[in-house]
Amino acid sequence: MTMARALPLLLLSATVMTACGAARTAPAPQARPLARSTGQDLVVLLPDPGSGMVGRAMVSSGGATVTLAAARDATTVSGAQPPGAVTTLGEDDVERLFGGALASMPLPPRHFTLYFNFESEELTAQSRALVREVLQAVKERPAPDVAVVGHTDTTGTRTANVALGLRRANTVRTILVDTGVDTSAIAVTSHGEAQLLVPTRDNVYEARNRRVDIAVR
Amino acid sequence: MRHLQHSMIAACLIWLMPAGVSAQQPSAAGRVKLVSGAASIVRAGQVIAAQPGQAVFESDSLRTGTDGRIGVTLADDTRVSVGPGSEVRLDSFAYAPENGRVGLALQFIRGVAIYVSGQIAKLAPDAVRLETPAATLGVRGTTLAVRVSE
Repeated sequence: MTMARALPLLLLSATVMTACGAARTAPAPQARPLARSTGQDLVVLLPDPGSGMVGRAMVSSGGATVTLAAARDATTVSGAQPPGAVTTLGEDDVERLFGGALASMPLPPRHFTLYFNFESEELTAQSRALVREVLQAVKERPAPDVAVVGHTDTTGTRTANVALGLRRANTVRTILVDTGVDTSAIAVTSHGEAQLLVPTRDNVYEARNRRVDIAVR
Repeated sequence: MRHLQHSMIAACLIWLMPAGVSAQQPSAAGRVKLVSGAASIVRAGQVIAAQPGQAVFESDSLRTGTDGRIGVTLADDTRVSVGPGSEVRLDSFAYAPENGRVGLALQFIRGVAIYVSGQIAKLAPDAVRLETPAATLGVRGTTLAVRVSE
């Protein structure tokens, strides 16, 4: 193909891709049956495990994009061809094709926020009660990772708040270790006043910013 | 003296901690949570038998034998599970939202795998790049099942 002939094609595909990216709509792809033959990639949109929410996915190939938007929407792609027309698989199809992978999906991570009394490393009464749930989440998970991140409000200096955040995170760490969580599973950090849950000016008391975020993965 | 040395090392470690996600040392992108049958991590050409709790790093491949399965959770809550006779590569991973650095690239090489989106897909959907041999996949907060036939 000469450059003169190739250029309009390139421009066309670039335009199509840009349009797809912006509008997230699909140009009409050539209708093709959902083949089971080899040499093809099959992409299926699944409801999110747990919530059942259905997101969206854009499958691009050969300068074209199709959008999967409903549960078990599927398309196939082979070579540099545009993706095939969207079909919808049955639940049994999904189980048959992907059962092996579905079986090894880790549990969803869980997030907790514990709050502290003013200028203190002491948990509020409500947050103390939440500790049991954190422990439960840790115990349910094989090879758990626990990320503990301390935060403060904007009263006091930035440096002092990093230290306070770390003391708060370590308080939580101690509680978790005392109740049986393996030390090596816990990573402790502090962001001080750098990541406010509720944005405020400097030197503002804000209970909701005095917290420790815990992620259990 | 020995005690003092340990204390100094501990002090240095504590000093490093508030930096959070430290850019200097390669931190794990995630961890293996579930393994059954023959499953391994391929790192710089080395094939390492996969075990629950094992760290997964950027550029690692998750590879399974005909009876193998492996499930991984990444630091941004993204989850990837790989079925039998399959391979998925974690091309790149960055999760430091406090520095505005987030990104995830997964390559589905062969077999079957499932991707469940995490925080990166929420914060910056365009920073998630999923590829099969034939296609590029963009996501808007979602779960995808992919099969690559040979």
